[in-house]
Amino acid sequence: MSIFEYNGSAVVAMVGKNCFAIASDRRLGVQLQTIATDFKRISKIHDRLFIGLSGLATDVQTLYQRLVFRHKLYQLREERDMKPETFASLVSAILYEKRFGPYLCQPVIAGLGEDDKPFICTMDSIGAKELAKDFVVSGTASESLYGACEAMYKPDMEAEELFETISQALLSSVDRDCLSGWGGHVYVVTPNEIKERILKGRMD
Amino acid sequence: FPLSCPTIKVHISRRLTPSPFGRPSKNQRRGDQRSKAVPSSQKMSRRYDSRTTIFSPEGRLYQVEYAMEAIGNAGSAIGILSKDGVVLIGEKKVTSKLLQTSTSSEKMYKIDDHVACAVAGIMSDANILINTARVQAQRYTFMYQEPMPVEQLVQSLCDTKQGYTQFGGLRPFGVSFLFAGWDKNHGFQLYMSDPSGNYGGWKAAAVGANNQAAQSILKQDYKDDATREEAVELALKVLSKTMDSTSLTSEKLELAEVFLTPSGSVKYHVHSPDSLTKLLVKHGVTQPAAESS
Repeated sequence: MSIFEYNGSAVVAMVGKNCFAIASDRRLGVQLQTIATDFKRISKIHDRLFIGLSGLATDVQTLYQRLVFRHKLYQLREERDMKPETFASLVSAILYEKRFGPYLCQPVIAGLGEDDKPFICTMDSIGAKELAKDFVVSGTASESLYGACEAMYKPDMEAEELFETISQALLSSVDRDCLSGWGGHVYVVTPNEIKERILKGRMD
Repeated sequence: FPLSCPTIKVHISRRLTPSPFGRPSKNQRRGDQRSKAVPSSQKMSRRYDSRTTIFSPEGRLYQVEYAMEAIGNAGSAIGILSKDGVVLIGEKKVTSKLLQTSTSSEKMYKIDDHVACAVAGIMSDANILINTARVQAQRYTFMYQEPMPVEQLVQSLCDTKQGYTQFGGLRPFGVSFLFAGWDKNHGFQLYMSDPSGNYGGWKAAAVGANNQAAQSILKQDYKDDATREEAVELALKVLSKTMDSTSLTSEKLELAEVFLTPSGSVKYHVHSPDSLTKLLVKHGVTQPAAESS
């Protein structure tokens, strides 16, 4: 049993037309036992930048807290929010610092950059960045997610259609994974608003 | 004292300064050589003011006091506590047209979402301390997942400042701060701290040039149940009376307020120059600038 599969998780992010969506499952388990059905894996860094963390739950929480620390200091010194690309580099650097005793999580970063251009990327637990133009996935359900996203994704979707696509991809993938599921948490971010929605899927 | 003869001067000064810390430093000896017919208390101070970490015979720390002197020459800042917010106002000393003022401010700094400060003194020292305060606030939030209580933040920063008066052999920071903040235990608070590392909670306080005059006016005119607007008015009036310059325009001032938004979160708002000008006019405090030649 891998430590990455201890708590169970599924996170996916997709790019749309001047918008992005990031979604995760809500299960927190201890191997086969489900402990919580409202675990927050996606967190806001600032109004145009979100990070979803899959993997070991304690590292998900601690890594997020460390990133908030760094971002707040950056904001105070620079008097502006961090760009998504810069933030991705920061996450990568923080993960690599612990190269020989890593944080056991895989982040998915999604944000709106300059000119409202959406940016998504994922990385492994020691900070290897993977930039993508369409979608990124991580977690125990990642293999199913790859398949579902590849099939359902098309470029330049508007916010509502993007929401439908990412929700369907997430719910169908977590149904094939016993360690993730119990609903979904979807954020769809456009330059003007952040829409947060909870999905009800198979509650098992 | 046969201090007229150079060689004997050096000889005698050595014997007359039985420093418990060994040989007196070069500075101290030179100080003695330069002093002519001066009263003994002043001569004594010359020997004890080169090092921050020793007391004078009168029980004073001269470096700390000299640091406070440095602040007395800097631009003033005033803070006033009201029941729905804290007002900070500062006098800008550097007002050249060439200065790029689009971004940072000279007197007001945000430490965390719920705490801000006004600065008086040496700006470079202030920058170091502000950075220290910011990191301390974030470390607390990382550890306890809640905003750092204002007094704890002030205390930890003052502990840093105190360290420079007791060990290390480094000079104290030449900065006084006025901290304005809100936390859920004590609501709105105003603290003043000085180079010695001492701090106190105040209802209204002034630091920098003419701070004693400002403090006495505040003592007379401060009202306990003032609103934020009344506090702004009082701050502008006091600063206009104590500022040295002939004309009071929005370029010479910075005004910031810490208050709660209707949704319950703390907001730190620095007034734009236009809004400041409007306030100056509204409270009848603005004086026309001298005709530009």
